[in-house]
Amino acid sequence: MRSALAVGAGRLSHWGLHSVLHRSASQLPGRVALGIDPNLMGELAGKLRKGSIVVCGTNGKTTTNNVLASAIEAAGNTVLCNRAGANMAAGVTSALLPGRSADWAVMEADELSTVHILPNLKPKYLVLLNLFRDQLDRAGEIDHVQDTIVHALQSSPETTLLVCGDDPLSMGVARRAAQNGTKVLAFGVDEDLHLPADRVPEARFCQVCGAELDYDWRTYAQLGKFRCPNGDFARPGLDFAATGVKVDRTGVSFDVRGKGIDGTVRLHAGFGGVYMVYNLLAAFAAASLAGVTGEQFQRTLDGYHPENGRLQHFRVGGREVVLNLAKNPTGFNQNISLLLADERPKAAYFVINDDFNDGKDISWIWDVDFERLAAEHMRVICGGHRANDVQVRLKYAGIRADIAGSVGEALGRLGNTDLAEPLYVLTNYSALWPAKAELERMGERHD
Amino acid sequence: MTNAFAGTDGTTGTGRSLRIAHLYPELLNLYGDSGNILVLKKRMAWRGIEPRVLEVHVDDRPSFSNVDIAFIGGGSDREQKIVCDKLLAEQEELRSFVEDGGVLAAVCGGYQLLGHSYLMGDEKVEGLGLVDLYTDRGEPRIIGNIAVESRISPQPIVGYENHGGRTHLGDGVEPMGKVLYGHGNDGESGYEGCLYKNVVGTYVHGPLLPKNPGVADYLIARALERKYGSADLEPLDDAEELAANKVMFDRLMAGEVEE
Ligand SMILES: [Zn+2]
Repeated sequence: MRSALAVGAGRLSHWGLHSVLHRSASQLPGRVALGIDPNLMGELAGKLRKGSIVVCGTNGKTTTNNVLASAIEAAGNTVLCNRAGANMAAGVTSALLPGRSADWAVMEADELSTVHILPNLKPKYLVLLNLFRDQLDRAGEIDHVQDTIVHALQSSPETTLLVCGDDPLSMGVARRAAQNGTKVLAFGVDEDLHLPADRVPEARFCQVCGAELDYDWRTYAQLGKFRCPNGDFARPGLDFAATGVKVDRTGVSFDVRGKGIDGTVRLHAGFGGVYMVYNLLAAFAAASLAGVTGEQFQRTLDGYHPENGRLQHFRVGGREVVLNLAKNPTGFNQNISLLLADERPKAAYFVINDDFNDGKDISWIWDVDFERLAAEHMRVICGGHRANDVQVRLKYAGIRADIAGSVGEALGRLGNTDLAEPLYVLTNYSALWPAKAELERMGERHD
Repeated sequence: MTNAFAGTDGTTGTGRSLRIAHLYPELLNLYGDSGNILVLKKRMAWRGIEPRVLEVHVDDRPSFSNVDIAFIGGGSDREQKIVCDKLLAEQEELRSFVEDGGVLAAVCGGYQLLGHSYLMGDEKVEGLGLVDLYTDRGEPRIIGNIAVESRISPQPIVGYENHGGRTHLGDGVEPMGKVLYGHGNDGESGYEGCLYKNVVGTYVHGPLLPKNPGVADYLIARALERKYGSADLEPLDDAEELAANKVMFDRLMAGEVEE
């Protein structure tokens, strides 16, 4: 009785918000419902005919989750999904509310929220994409994030962990979860991509004994084929492996072999860099576990447009503007790789805010390899609340940058430089929406 | 400092040079501390002082006899403990470096290591005992922006603090400065950091040096003075650094940054 009432109240507020207030209803109805019955998420999970999949990880979870949900849908299922990215317990509950039943729920989860989501939702699979340093002041240290995911898995023993085998930090979680009895499947890149090494972050140490890891190759950040010299920790055998990887300005393509996949499937997407290979590999691995074929998955990719401002292309006054989110060193370094892979002369506008959702401590900008841009002799402009900090960072990277308060102003600074030169706009979280709104107002989107 | 400095005495050639030892960068780089080293390096190079940076890794046996500036950053508890165990073996060498006027900058976890003890969880861990201070714990964790008035910087020192520890200075130990915004050593005394001989210990990161060029130059000047007997530093054009410092300080003092 109590939970029927709770569902009613949640639906009512969903309806009320959509119809009356015209604002995002993604977070609030879940809060209303949870306020009445904290077990509601578990009860709502009962209406899923085939089960649920939860996607977490520092970078790439929204894209991975949304591609995965679309692919499962494309295979003829009904899917509930928190597409708007409200990824804490309330947002997940809210996304479970619509309709009497569904085949699957595919939910993005904030890493620290897994401990509230897993014991209630009891998903078939938890996808762990990667762990990087992010929003330190809010999320605490990486150790704490790892402990939380381990505890979350402990609370849902039937959940299989689908984990990036190339990431020592994620494998640190997998190792401990496996000791507690969790079933683990690993995905990764099974060849040397011969990429120029980016800055090695702090995480290249054995999760068991602390020794510096040896690598046969690294793909990016701390990801790669690693092994502890003391023999107690190594990249596992891969259940889903990508080979034949190609990455350039036009997108990514690669072969996947793995568990339950017939032969080799070649996938290609018109967006992303190396990090996208991992996101799509993870999405395809999870999708195929849910019965999606390679052909259905590729069709999903063909129709997929990155949402939420992630790598969107606009045309403003004849100039191409590329907008992307870059909220931590690894994400930023990957974006710099993407920008350097564009052989045209170009300019960049970096926008960094320090709102609550961004993390108020932006010391991570000193871990971004801006030095790689110094040789490009490109025009760089800074924006956001912390424009001055970015300007200082760039000065010490050997780049003289000026400051602009908006994308429009940044475009104005380019003056009459050749319109064939694109402007790359990289922003952190809270700066993304204003930049996107401005671009939509000034120009038009094209993909 | 096993090999990299071997056979280089830094006084050959015409110009001045300083040797910077970055201690355990792979373990203690939680808060963009590589930025501190970069700033020291550039500000020396811009003045024709040759910077020689050596990273000291976990398996190295550090020697401080030919170091001018040593830097210790902050890490997670686990990493901080590894570093402390390593450095305890070099305690005497470090002590003579400090007593001889060697420049040592220690931030966050590195700052706590300077004292007699600190707490890891509930476990009391022996520190290096280089400066008369100790660290215990308090609730809540102190997290947020901070501004400090200090004699080692012409501008307020601006940055970010993030620590569960409460650091208490011994009677004779001078704090780095007075808290203008934020919490500082223990959240109560109104003081931040410590100054002892040429040691600077502080919770201020952000990282510490880029927006506080006065502190960077203080460290460089003390090292030059010790090595060459004169602390003459050519002024640099710090327009960007000082603008970043001022913008943040003004935002904090105007209450424009939410806690
Ligand atoms: Zn090991």
